[in-house]
Amino acid sequence: MATQLLPLELIDKCVGSKIWVVMKGDKEFSGTLLGFDDYVNMVLENVTEYDYSGGQTKLPKILLNGNNICMLIPGGEGPGTAAS
Amino acid sequence: MENGNLNQGEGKDPSAFLSEIIGNAVTVKLNSGVVYRGELQSIDGYMNLALEKCEEYVDGVKKRSYGDAFVRGNNVMYISAD
Amino acid sequence: MADVDDGASAPVSEPLDLVRLCLDEIVFVKLRGDRELKGRLHAYDSHCNLVLGDVEETIYVVEEDEDEEETVRTIHKKSEMLFVRGDSVVLISPQAPS
Repeated sequence: MATQLLPLELIDKCVGSKIWVVMKGDKEFSGTLLGFDDYVNMVLENVTEYDYSGGQTKLPKILLNGNNICMLIPGGEGPGTAAS
Repeated sequence: MENGNLNQGEGKDPSAFLSEIIGNAVTVKLNSGVVYRGELQSIDGYMNLALEKCEEYVDGVKKRSYGDAFVRGNNVMYISAD
Repeated sequence: MADVDDGASAPVSEPLDLVRLCLDEIVFVKLRGDRELKGRLHAYDSHCNLVLGDVEETIYVVEEDEDEEETVRTIHKKSEMLFVRGDSVVLISPQAPS
């Protein structure tokens, strides 16, 4: 029987490392994942918030509402480095 | 262990973060882009918030202040510890 | 005397307690869609459904003229009593009657 990795187990493997979060709207975050819950609300550290206009905001520590998350990319450094 | 996550015992899951920042200055960003800064009085499981000495910023410009404010949780994008 | 709860003396331990403290007071309510209400809070529930009395509603409408200049127009409405569905509520704040 193939052992499958549940989605939340994948996220659990990311705890302590960098993660890239793409929201439903025109917004993205990258930062270190400190923890999350069953709704995928996430606590992130050393966060960069990426605006649709290309603006960036640094945030030391946030609780991100899981409601509007679209996609999570383990180890992602955000849109800037991905493009280069 | 409580919710099936490997919470390394560091207390860094969302509920631990919330209890850690109660009483502190926080920045709350809504999905609309409006930002509220204030002292976090309380929070519940819906992410409803009560903020004290609350200031409202629209496009980075201060619009209003409220002595107290209740913010309905469904509008919240993130809560940042200042 | 230790009166048995009329709400006003109980501490604020959860966010909705702040709304409870506003009962029968004038409140300011921000709604989705650039609307604001000011009125007396008669009732609320856990969804933030509200019943407000003597309400002043302000609606902000952004209009673009031929020169593509945006102007914000405000519309004011008054109602004796209205019900607000909780899902449109963004913020509730106690406001001293002016």
